[in-house]
Amino acid sequence: MSHLAVADQESAAAPIAPIRQSVVALGQITKSFGPTLANTGIDLSVGAGDIIGLVGGNGAGKSTLMRILCGSMWPTLGSISFAGEEVNFADYGTAEAQKRGIRMVHQELSLCANLSVAENFFLETPGDSASRPGWRSLYRTRARSALDAVFPGNGVDADAEVGHLSIAERQMVEIARAAATPGVKLIVLDEPTSSLDLDRSKQLRTFIRERAKAGLAFIFISHKLQEIIDIATEIVVLRNGRTAWQGKVADASIGKLVQLMGGDANPVHQHTVSAASSRDILVRLAGPLTAELGRDIDIVRGEIVGLAGLEGSGQKELLHAIFSPDRRQSASVIRHAEAGFIAGDRQKEGVFPLWSVLGNISIGAVARRPALGLVSDRANRDTAADAADRLRLDDKRFQSNITELSGGNQQKALVARALVADTPIILLDDPTRGVDIATKQDFYRLCNEIARGGRSLIWHTTEDAELLACDRVLVFSGGRIVRELSGEAITESAIVGASFTQPAHKHAGAGRKDAAKTGLARRLVNAAPFIGLATVLAVMIAANPAVASSFGLDLLLMPALSLVLVTAAQMFIVGGSEIDLGVGAFAGLVSVLSATLLYDQPWLGALALVAALAAYAGLGGVIQARKIPAIVVTLGASFIWVGLGYALQPTPGGASPEWLSALFNWSLGFVPTSIILIAAVALISLVIDRLPLGVVLRGFGNNPTAMIRSGWSSTRYALVRYLIAGLFAGAAGLSLTAINTASDINSGNSFTLLGVAAVVMGGCSLLGGVISPIGAVAGAVTLSLIGALLGTLNVSSDYNAATQGLILVALLTLRSLTADRRSEQ
Amino acid sequence: MNALATFSLWAQRNRWVWAAIGVLLLWLVLSVVTNRFSLSSLSGIVLSASFLTVVGVGQMFVVTTGRGNIDLSVASVITLSAFVALLTIRGQDANLAIGLVAAVLLGLAVGALNSLLVVGLGIPAIIATLATGYVLATATLLSNKAIPGFAVSPALKDLATGRVSGVPIMAIIAILGVAATSFVLRYTVFGQLLSAVGQNRAAARLAGIRNGPVIASAFIISSVLASLDGLLLGAYIGGAFLEMGQPYLLQSIAAVVLGGTLIFGGSATAVGTLFASILLILIVTTMQIIGLPPGAQDIVQGIVVIFVLALAGRQAIVRRSAADPAGNDGAATSTAGRPS
Repeated sequence: MSHLAVADQESAAAPIAPIRQSVVALGQITKSFGPTLANTGIDLSVGAGDIIGLVGGNGAGKSTLMRILCGSMWPTLGSISFAGEEVNFADYGTAEAQKRGIRMVHQELSLCANLSVAENFFLETPGDSASRPGWRSLYRTRARSALDAVFPGNGVDADAEVGHLSIAERQMVEIARAAATPGVKLIVLDEPTSSLDLDRSKQLRTFIRERAKAGLAFIFISHKLQEIIDIATEIVVLRNGRTAWQGKVADASIGKLVQLMGGDANPVHQHTVSAASSRDILVRLAGPLTAELGRDIDIVRGEIVGLAGLEGSGQKELLHAIFSPDRRQSASVIRHAEAGFIAGDRQKEGVFPLWSVLGNISIGAVARRPALGLVSDRANRDTAADAADRLRLDDKRFQSNITELSGGNQQKALVARALVADTPIILLDDPTRGVDIATKQDFYRLCNEIARGGRSLIWHTTEDAELLACDRVLVFSGGRIVRELSGEAITESAIVGASFTQPAHKHAGAGRKDAAKTGLARRLVNAAPFIGLATVLAVMIAANPAVASSFGLDLLLMPALSLVLVTAAQMFIVGGSEIDLGVGAFAGLVSVLSATLLYDQPWLGALALVAALAAYAGLGGVIQARKIPAIVVTLGASFIWVGLGYALQPTPGGASPEWLSALFNWSLGFVPTSIILIAAVALISLVIDRLPLGVVLRGFGNNPTAMIRSGWSSTRYALVRYLIAGLFAGAAGLSLTAINTASDINSGNSFTLLGVAAVVMGGCSLLGGVISPIGAVAGAVTLSLIGALLGTLNVSSDYNAATQGLILVALLTLRSLTADRRSEQ
Repeated sequence: MNALATFSLWAQRNRWVWAAIGVLLLWLVLSVVTNRFSLSSLSGIVLSASFLTVVGVGQMFVVTTGRGNIDLSVASVITLSAFVALLTIRGQDANLAIGLVAAVLLGLAVGALNSLLVVGLGIPAIIATLATGYVLATATLLSNKAIPGFAVSPALKDLATGRVSGVPIMAIIAILGVAATSFVLRYTVFGQLLSAVGQNRAAARLAGIRNGPVIASAFIISSVLASLDGLLLGAYIGGAFLEMGQPYLLQSIAAVVLGGTLIFGGSATAVGTLFASILLILIVTTMQIIGLPPGAQDIVQGIVVIFVLALAGRQAIVRRSAADPAGNDGAATSTAGRPS
């Protein structure tokens, strides 16, 4: 590494002359994570109109450096200055970075999938909306023109929900959004072309060149060196957290960059083909997956097969299909032996954070034993020791918690897990992500040994260099295998070339037909609350025509009002992917407060109501700030609300203040008051939801990380969400008092769960982010009519609860059958 | 100082110790202050706590499956089981076996239904168990109308209220159950699988674990234990009444969390649940002795749950950031070193 340090200083000694105005400069940035240094003394200066190509292998420190630049992480040491003015990192954060004109397009896209393209534009630059009606059309126009400016002829609909767009379209939206930000001076593009086809990629580069002429600066991160050479004015190469080279594009070539990144410096492996000559077939790939090749692919004992292609072209899907072939692709994938899995995303799919290293290794063997068998540390240790030995993993560290290990050693533990599981097939999902060079070398050597020992390895990697080590490489495009390379034919250019092959879109049409079918089913399920309400009313009117009169409807629907209000409250909570189990009790408490304190001493009563509301909103803040499960907290809070109510009013009683009764007891004559009030609740929640505020709340329900990146405060909006819910729940409490002309602390209890049921019936998603006020209100009315309906049908009211429960189960079942399964079990 | 450090390290791995210390302190204070506390009064508290422990241990299995899973149907199961016991046993010892079978079958049926909804249909646990609770509520109302009377079989009554040389039989049952549960969690494959599934579901699946059956068995264990608990509780109070299971909903969750089982799943302690159950009953008893109104008792219980969770939530945050050296979210900003 010493020779690199020399190169580093040489390049630092000849800085690029700052002819143009400087936008931002990072000085001597060092960032440590415990013992590992992610960045060491990196200088980076960006001038107006610069296009800096930032390259480096995985784990070279690019992401860390960009996070520091964008204010989402502080360095251990170093400085940052804007146009020569130095800024203290303590005052620097994502919001400050945005204010100073830095925008980043993240690799893992940060759009809210439940919002429209235009609404996502709003989230990034909320300033101009001013909540006036028609704010959407402003952002629609802006989205349209921004998209057309970068990608002419893109055909993306500004009103389309982002979740319905293809990955490439989402990437285009994200790039256009960053480019259209007013006052932007520097745009960081992290692998912007990873899912764009060649034409779009060219459009993007043309756009970048034009804007750079006008003075906008870009940092362009890409593994596609061809693109970097084509677009950049300057290139910065990082390696092991240091600047390996920095200079004009004219002085660079692909070969040089590869060498600087350490690409060919490590002969990855010397796998001998002889080991793979066995005809013992372990996996056969067939069907539509290999249709492009026109023949099946067999994977035999002793070979390493690499899966290549642009990210998200189907490589991961194949790994998972081989791992559990009983999924949809069963026809395409046939597995003849057990398979083990080594995940590269260690945090999400690999480690068990509560366990020691030993526990994390031995689970591989334990998982394959009968559930009632006994486990002992000693037996586990014996099995694991052998595997750890081969991995050069120190068995003195067996008792350490897995999270105390470096990424590389964690990865070794995961390999050891696969070894103790002793499966003939091992699937690797980008296993060297974020692993240091030395461990990588260990890793490659080990994989060779494993393969030579008679197992087959199927290896998905995002580092094309690693593919050179495979016996065979299958290149993916659009979910199909489009090319099979083997031996000498495996070169980076061959892989990249094949990655852009367009597979014949035969199955796209069928997919669309399927989508239309499920779309229809989903629409039917969404209409269920209205169909249900109509049915219930029709049955009741048929049984008793007097129901249809204004008075009859009022009698029926007035008691539904309180549930409708509680449902509206619950709906906003559910929109944030939480559930409030205390909302009914809170309504009961407000009812008690209004019938006692508010009746006797209006000022004190009003004060108590405000205090209760503040406490309720504060609860939301606590849940968000402490990251604790809302369900349990609100369940605990429900005891507090009920306890307070009991303390104030041990037995039902009190009286409704006159003005409150008057609020609910007026008449327009022909239209029942209750219908007007219920419609008003639906309208108010609809308006809140359509306001910019509602859009922000839904954004948080769907993708809080993206919201925080765009500069929104999660705790503040948790408070706002609970405040809105509290207002609705409070109104429900007041309506209880007015309708019953007295209060009972238990009067709201049953509403809590009915509210959840109504919200779900109405079409809101419990995962958050989807709100449908009208459906929820219809659901609430239907549920509250169940009792009366059973009465009309001469069924005992004992069946009330069961009917409600069964309706809930039936609807959820329908919903889970029609919706795509987003979360895996 | 060094001993203190050793203890705090040990206590991190044995979180049940805090609930045990709480029981000890509260009991000591009460004995000194009131003069009314003795070992026999403690045994009365342990007897009440045993009923909570049984349902708490079941709840603990469900909580340990992670993702905020909670069994909201336990309260309805307890109530319905007490009614079913009255219906099947009819006060005759001869019918005891039928009653026991009925209780187990009820638990199995509810557990299977919950599993079907949660594992099979992917409905969130809280909604699924909520809906099950609705259905059970109707079943309870119907059996309330059908019960012949409030006679309890003498043998069952002895089991629920009797003592062996001063120690309540129920307490012995609960302690044996807790010991067996601790063994299962620590030394069997199932215990390891449960912990793995609760910690990281994706990783568990990729490690070769079939998550569905593990989660389903947690729900079945919870329902069966709640059902048996209802049978015994009915015998203890000498009958059954609507809503008799209701207090056990929050208390069972509180006992689990207070005992040191992680609310995010993956780590369970049966001993902690036992001590936390005793602690909770002790708190309620104390409030009754002081003469706090029932409303205030509710408030205190609610506050205890929220307070403990807020503290435990902090631990989880620390743990997560430690598990994530790359610190790829906003939380890393606050812990990152400042530039000099």
